Amino acid sequence: MASHFCYGCLLRLRQMPRVYSMLPGPLVTAPFHTTPPRPANPMARKSRSLEGPPKYRESKSARMRKRKPVERSRPPAVGERKALRKRIVLSNTNALEVPGMQDLSEETMLDSRLRGSVVGLPLPMLNQLLAVQAFKPTQGWSIFRRPGTVLRRETLEMGRLVNRIGEEKGKVFKKIITGVRGSGKSVYLLQAMAMGFLKNWIVVTVPEPQDLVIAHTAYGTLPGSNPVQYVQNAATAALLSRTAIANKEVLSGLHISQNHEGLKSLLQPNMTLEDLARLGVQTPSIAWPVFQALWAELAATEAAGNADIGKPFKPRPPMLVTVDGLSHWMTNSRYRSAEYEPIHAHDLVFVNHFLSLLQPTTSKPTLPNGGLLLYATSASNNPTIYSFDIALKQIIASQNGIDPSSPDFPRLDPYAKIDERVLNLFNNHARSTETGEFEVRSLGGLTTDEARGLLEHFACSGLLREKVTEELVGEKWSLAGGGIIGEMERIARRLRAIV
Amino acid sequence: MAWQRPNCIVNAVPTAHLASHWRLQTRSLLGSRRRISPFSTSSRRDATEVQPAPEIDLSRFFASPARIIPSSPAYFSGSPRYIDHLLHLEHILAKYASLPTVAPNEAPRMAWFKLAQFRDFVGENVPTRKYKSLIKILQRLNRIDPGLVPDEVRQALKSFLRPGNPYANKPAPAVVDELGRSRGRGKRKEASAVVSLVEGEGGVMVNGKNILQAFPRIHDRESALWALRCTRRLDKYNVWATVKGGGVTGQAEAVTLATARALLVHEPILKPVLRQAGVITVDARRVERKKPGHVKARKMPTWVKR
Repeated sequence: MASHFCYGCLLRLRQMPRVYSMLPGPLVTAPFHTTPPRPANPMARKSRSLEGPPKYRESKSARMRKRKPVERSRPPAVGERKALRKRIVLSNTNALEVPGMQDLSEETMLDSRLRGSVVGLPLPMLNQLLAVQAFKPTQGWSIFRRPGTVLRRETLEMGRLVNRIGEEKGKVFKKIITGVRGSGKSVYLLQAMAMGFLKNWIVVTVPEPQDLVIAHTAYGTLPGSNPVQYVQNAATAALLSRTAIANKEVLSGLHISQNHEGLKSLLQPNMTLEDLARLGVQTPSIAWPVFQALWAELAATEAAGNADIGKPFKPRPPMLVTVDGLSHWMTNSRYRSAEYEPIHAHDLVFVNHFLSLLQPTTSKPTLPNGGLLLYATSASNNPTIYSFDIALKQIIASQNGIDPSSPDFPRLDPYAKIDERVLNLFNNHARSTETGEFEVRSLGGLTTDEARGLLEHFACSGLLREKVTEELVGEKWSLAGGGIIGEMERIARRLRAIV
Repeated sequence: MAWQRPNCIVNAVPTAHLASHWRLQTRSLLGSRRRISPFSTSSRRDATEVQPAPEIDLSRFFASPARIIPSSPAYFSGSPRYIDHLLHLEHILAKYASLPTVAPNEAPRMAWFKLAQFRDFVGENVPTRKYKSLIKILQRLNRIDPGLVPDEVRQALKSFLRPGNPYANKPAPAVVDELGRSRGRGKRKEASAVVSLVEGEGGVMVNGKNILQAFPRIHDRESALWALRCTRRLDKYNVWATVKGGGVTGQAEAVTLATARALLVHEPILKPVLRQAGVITVDARRVERKKPGHVKARKMPTWVKR
């Protein structure tokens, strides 16, 4: 029903003459209104509370009455709420298009003149990024016309690194990304993925490591493993699916070149790697052997001598492996063994495979075709694991050139519960200072110049309705705890009236 | 302000003179009337002849008045000594009303008698309203340009000051130390904060942590840095705050006050701006105590009929 209240002329505020429904004659109406006023019915009973004089000598206490069962509508279907929660919106047509915004490309990712500006993610790549679940629902992509990221110092450094890996065959860099909440760790991984797709690398991601250890997917023992290891077929199939969809173009150009004993009956000689991955997606029961086969293919530098191959061997591209939320893998999982003992996360083959990539191996290179391993920690969904924390501290200390024998080197608390498996994983890194290939990289805040670029992007999108001055930038930068990008976004997206 | 000329004192003496003269005459009239009263049974009536009073020697009136007159002309009012003081001050004020004055905030700060002390001083139960009107006159006299204050005014004002000078021992003005830091302390609710302010580019640390960890709410962060923000100094100083006690909001507002005080050490000229922003005024409210018989500080238990 249309409201009687006319906001334009506030006619309703005028003192209207009292009109009783018994009175004959037409109602008095304002001449330029189409909606007639509806007077209240004087015969209608007034509300109960105001009726009659105040009651004395009667109980005022509330009477218990039987409540009628309330008709409730059906709750949303199973999974609908989660789908809504996890929904990712990458565009908002209400936001203004930013004029002159550049796309991320092989040139712009190296261009240090663009530092501090927001570059858009190329539109054809968005499907690939969605397939590898690079976007998170909390990241606020839905407030802009199209997704874009700030080219900060670390991004440009990574661009140069990606370029270098492409030029030097077989170069591998391993990084653990840390930083406070909202410092842009996940978006840093996203930028790496975008660069990987630009360079036609193979991108393999684990967007939610937590899902592998909270006993939400099926698991079973790995046949023939001693000590017993556990395989998660559904999760592996999902990983294969992500990889196959996102890297379709690259994988469909590569063909099988190795011997895969366990899968011999299922493979054809001129099968593409995409088909191989699809095999695992379609039959999850063999997902793990298929993943191993795919990995062996991607790590191959030449065709195996005794393999029957239909097509000539094509060199494999470098790989990008990202894991977002590493610390969930550093403790016991929620799974139980047959003896009802908790299973350590490192006993899951899926987890173990990705963690073993971090290890410095002298005999066999981790990724013979080169690549980049980015393992980020999370600050908001983060179990406190002493062994992992102290291991990271020790690595950082040795990175800063502190000798392990010096008193400044972080020591283990003798009374703390230590997880030896976690410590052993990082022991080699903590004790060695050589090789710049492995590092723990801490992301901090933006510089004021970068913050200025970000705020200008907000202003150009119509979100920030203030003049972006030096003063405003400094103010927001301080309020955001020194340019922590997630906080900058939270502050800048709060709409202000123009004063 | 229109100052009336205190005519009372000037006219007091002639009035007293006239009044006594009139009373004397009246008395003699009464006496003569009594003599002819028909109801009197006294035997003295005819025996004693009342002598007429001798003529008043006005030249010696002050040395030996015809009757004892009170020292204060306000003797018959409710509070003669108060009125004496008031008249005295009004007289002085009228005398020096033309001297130049200064703004109230530039006048020297004086600790006048408080009401109870003033009552002791005067020895009368002076009502609050009268006390206030006298303080007003004192303040007006105090506003006379300090360089031109006559000795008489100074003496008069001095007699109304509290013993000992409460404003004498001022704390040493805070200064920026040799490392460029200024220090300010602030309290709010149960929280107390100490802030070191140093020139910089806008870094803020609270208890050694980033301000994000200390105050996750934007509102708290804004209020903690409000002193710098409203003066547009947010990108010119680094803040190092230590804050203890209370909750998050109390801590944030304690930091506000401490920052404002530390900022005043660097730039005293900002005081009016900061006062306008409301960060100078101390909010001295604390949690009201719970009372017996109450559910909380003031809440009473629910009324039950039986």
